[in-house]
Amino acid sequence: MENIYLPKLAEIKEIIQETADTKTVRLTINGGSIDFLPGQFGEFSYIGEGESTFGFASSPLRKGYFEFCFRTSGRATTGISGLNQGDKIAFRGPYGNYFDTSKMKGKDLVFVGGGIGMAPVKSIMEYCFDERDDYGKITVLYGARSVGDLLYKNIFDEWKKYKNTDVIITVDPGGETSGWTGKVGFVPTVLEQLPLKGENSVAIVCGPPIMIKFALKSLEEKMGFDKSDIITTLENRMKCGLGKCGRCNVGSVYVCKDGPVFTARELESLPNDF
Amino acid sequence: MEEKFKEKYFEISAENLKRFINEIIADNYEVIAPANKDGDVFYGRINRFEDANLDVLLPKMSYKEFLLPGTETLFEYSFSGVETGIKDGLEAVNGANQKRIIFGGRPCDAGAGPIMEKVFNWDYKDEFFNERFKNLTIVSIACEKPDNYCFCTEMQLSPESSYGSDILLKKAGDKYFATVTSEKGLNLVKLRQSLFNEAGNDKIPADKDWKKIFEIEKTKSFLDKNFEHNYYQERFLSCIGCGVCTYTCPTCHCFDIQDEGNLREGRRIRNWDSCQFGIFTLHTSGHNPRVTQGDRYRQRLMHKFKIYSEKFDKYLCVGCGRCSRNCPEDIDIKEVAKDLAELA
Repeated sequence: MENIYLPKLAEIKEIIQETADTKTVRLTINGGSIDFLPGQFGEFSYIGEGESTFGFASSPLRKGYFEFCFRTSGRATTGISGLNQGDKIAFRGPYGNYFDTSKMKGKDLVFVGGGIGMAPVKSIMEYCFDERDDYGKITVLYGARSVGDLLYKNIFDEWKKYKNTDVIITVDPGGETSGWTGKVGFVPTVLEQLPLKGENSVAIVCGPPIMIKFALKSLEEKMGFDKSDIITTLENRMKCGLGKCGRCNVGSVYVCKDGPVFTARELESLPNDF
Repeated sequence: MEEKFKEKYFEISAENLKRFINEIIADNYEVIAPANKDGDVFYGRINRFEDANLDVLLPKMSYKEFLLPGTETLFEYSFSGVETGIKDGLEAVNGANQKRIIFGGRPCDAGAGPIMEKVFNWDYKDEFFNERFKNLTIVSIACEKPDNYCFCTEMQLSPESSYGSDILLKKAGDKYFATVTSEKGLNLVKLRQSLFNEAGNDKIPADKDWKKIFEIEKTKSFLDKNFEHNYYQERFLSCIGCGVCTYTCPTCHCFDIQDEGNLREGRRIRNWDSCQFGIFTLHTSGHNPRVTQGDRYRQRLMHKFKIYSEKFDKYLCVGCGRCSRNCPEDIDIKEVAKDLAELA
């Protein structure tokens, strides 16, 4: 008999303080990564404080570790935030569906991330970087409320080094600092200014609900993306991740089993329950 | 697939039934039956047949507790120095319910087991549920007089349905007819076979012609078409979100997972949860997909009569009416389902 709720213990290989309240944690199990695909998620916990659901934030092709990113906001994440390199984190997963890269190959890609929503985007983005020749032009648009809220500041330059890749970083108006050299503007607004076309392109979008809503609108209406070529990942409160505990459904769809990755076309058929 | 069990039929006198129960209790079987407690009736362990209350229509709670306990340990943990110890909670469940009989429950409660079994097995297998469910033996008694809150007939069952029971007893004067529907049921009879007489199927009294007051398919067809509707927001304004409907429900199975303990040891548990609570779906960001009580009651209706049925071709409701009987605001789900069927 297998206990599906029993976690494995993963060791913290590295912690990166991304912002004042947000950290990236790199984990290893038996010294390496685990088998997962970009878009999937896991249940992470400091045992004793409860589990939290996070999408994977690293490319599964980078074998030495797997990564998630979290903001300290409740009991469970406060527990995790107190851990150090070498400490153990309990992990269950991977769960859920994933980005279907077979439908992205040979096409131009647009990655749009907002705030901490950049974490799952980073997983599929780095996966595509790792097999750079399989894809056309890559455009990365990442925004946060302020310069201080931007994740991954230390690796923006690394992203820019990939060939045929544009990286645009923006902060909301008022969130810029005096030395800020990036864009100032909301993600959907900046998105509309980019020279993008829907033909032979796939857009991957994740961020706060309001950003997703307007980014989808811009991509569809201003740039002519087909709804099937816009992919996003939903978040809903989850406990089990296994299709049993009954809380992550959007209408008849279970985000943990049928998602978390959905196309804009699929979202269109869902009731307003997310 | 398991080979389908061929139903067997027996009759047993009321006197022998009493003897049977008392003798298996003496054989160390744990018999759970409706029993008086704190001025009400609950399923609980009886020490002799006379302690069972077989006159009550339905105990206050179903016997869900014996399949999905209100609180269950998924694993225990301990920290000693640098090592984290984890003890699998399944070990404690191994062999659970092997000598446990639910006696004198009703066909609605019996129907709930196989309905929940689908949820716990459609993809990942939940062995906590499975181990309890496969070992439990269920001996139900057909209802003679359902009350105004009952609607099992509308929910594809009936007061005389044997679905989910290992043995269904039907009272006829001073004896009972027994329909044995499983190997587990037959093994129970075999413990004291001499107390039972074999009877032909033709001897079993025919089911009465139970009338439906609405068609559940129509309720579903309303739900299919109406996610947004004033009915939900107006009808459930009076709902105080106490969650008693979900706690007393034999098929509501939604759960929460929590850790409790201290820095040295503790356990991860799962607890019954309720879609009627605001925090059930509350995101960390503060966003909540279901803001009003109308949104939450709609979820309960959707889950029972649409979402579950689309996956499993049955409904997540046995029509026991406990949610209505216990509702402090007298929201009657049968009347709600009927309203929706009429609006469809």
